[in-house]
Amino acid sequence: MAGSGHSKIDSNSAWWLLLPALLVLAFVGVLPLLTIFNYSFFDIFTLEDRYWVGTEWYREILASERFLHSLGRSLLFSAIVLSIQIPLGVYIALLLPREGRVKTAILMVLALPLMVPWNTVPSMWVSFMDEQSGFGGQAVSLLGFDFDYKFNAVHTWILLVAMDTWHWIGLVVILCYSGLSTISPAYYQAAAIDGASRLQVFRYVELPKMSGVLMMAVLLRFMDSFMIYTEAFRVNAGGPNHATSFLSLDLGEEIAAFDYGPAAARSIIYFVIILTVAWAFKTIMNIRQGESRRVGA
Amino acid sequence: MVRARSTASRLKTLMVYVLLTALVGFVLLPFVQMLVLSFTSTLPRDGIAQWQFSTINFQSIIASPLLSGSIVNSIIYVSLNVIVTLLVAIPAAYAIARYRFTGDKHVFLLLIAFRITPPVVLTLPVFILFAKVGLVNTPVGIALVHCVFNIPIAIWILESFISAVPRELDETAFLDGYSLPRFFVRQLLPLIAPGVGVAAFFCFMFSWVEVVFARILTVTGGKPITMAINTLYGFRTDIGLVMAMTLVSLIPGLAVIYFVRNHIAKGFIVRT
Repeated sequence: MAGSGHSKIDSNSAWWLLLPALLVLAFVGVLPLLTIFNYSFFDIFTLEDRYWVGTEWYREILASERFLHSLGRSLLFSAIVLSIQIPLGVYIALLLPREGRVKTAILMVLALPLMVPWNTVPSMWVSFMDEQSGFGGQAVSLLGFDFDYKFNAVHTWILLVAMDTWHWIGLVVILCYSGLSTISPAYYQAAAIDGASRLQVFRYVELPKMSGVLMMAVLLRFMDSFMIYTEAFRVNAGGPNHATSFLSLDLGEEIAAFDYGPAAARSIIYFVIILTVAWAFKTIMNIRQGESRRVGA
Repeated sequence: MVRARSTASRLKTLMVYVLLTALVGFVLLPFVQMLVLSFTSTLPRDGIAQWQFSTINFQSIIASPLLSGSIVNSIIYVSLNVIVTLLVAIPAAYAIARYRFTGDKHVFLLLIAFRITPPVVLTLPVFILFAKVGLVNTPVGIALVHCVFNIPIAIWILESFISAVPRELDETAFLDGYSLPRFFVRQLLPLIAPGVGVAAFFCFMFSWVEVVFARILTVTGGKPITMAINTLYGFRTDIGLVMAMTLVSLIPGLAVIYFVRNHIAKGFIVRT
């Protein structure tokens, strides 16, 4: 953050180096967003045959009870996922030895679930939790639990959270670990000489070095859990009784039904929610960083 | 006293290893299940008893042009995506690492915005746009659209690695008459090779497994592995075949993980 700042050269021609990346992003990101923003104000029968409806779709969606319920469920899911995966990921990264083969082997194992196609992650878990033939399902029934993810909403939620944690914990660990490995041993020695407790070392040495990657982990995990689609759909198709119909499932339905206008308005609403939350995260992080810097100095 | 302390620390080490073993078990068990199922005939068939060990699933993959072709499609689009992403991200990351320019503070915010735009939000217009320019049903379309989340990631990672290279290197090279492209290829890239590897790993990871864009862009042809698997789901899903396909799809991923294993989490920080 600091340090390298003053050695940078002032030059606006640096924009030329950014241009290729920005052009690609404009084509695959900005252009579609503008298109969808435009569509959201129309009733679309075919792409040529459409009527201006103003903000009708927005008012309709925002006032509907179904939207509010889905929003609540998605926010709850993200909150649970973040409050488990972020502390757990940080904890595992701290547990890992700094050097050696054990560390490399464990990181490789943790990266493995990240490589599984998203639409087979739920199949793997449904087979795994099968009462008759799955290891997980057999173990659970041996322990005397009556695990029924098809009809018991709480069990569906537990399965989704466990599955999501299995799938993504590796990403959080890898990011945190990479932040930790930038800390030179001298910092730890200095802290030991000062008689710092383990908690103080974490708070004043390790956490500041992790803040950037941690921010990225939080944002990535927030966005992907908030917009969870394939995993939730394949496990229980939004059931039982809509207990796991999240925001993206509603949007998927509208797109499948060719309701382009409402789907576009819904997309814009989701995009704005995500941006707002991301911006809030970033602001909070910046304020806290500012505080800890003042305390540290 | 000394002895008690060493017992305590040994106990602590033991605890750490117990926890890490439990973690590895938790991660690997579903994979063991997958491995077992992929070598099991999970549907009733002539000549093979159901739930019997069998290599029928792998024979089916080889026999089906859709399934075996999808592996080629996946490899094509992911390779293309990684190449395009790195080509545009390296200069961009260099610009951010080395120069101060008007608006540089906002570039990161802009990148965050692109990275967290949910794919499901973009599906509809991307399909309409790509249909107009003939990018539907080809791996090229998927490769391009995946840039929207991979370019920001690649820039973040590469910027961190480039910042770690002392600036004297650039200055000496330019004094020696190197042009910018030649400096990149000859001097900078060899130094940040681990960073390029890590960036490629992340791009591969997010692109290989993606399903939302891949589905909307491959209606009739060019289906990657994920979408070939989707066609297997039905009234009576052959779960053994699905798992065999998953196992096959993991092989390139394993290769990539092995390739970057020593750098996978080696010292990059992300500036926010």
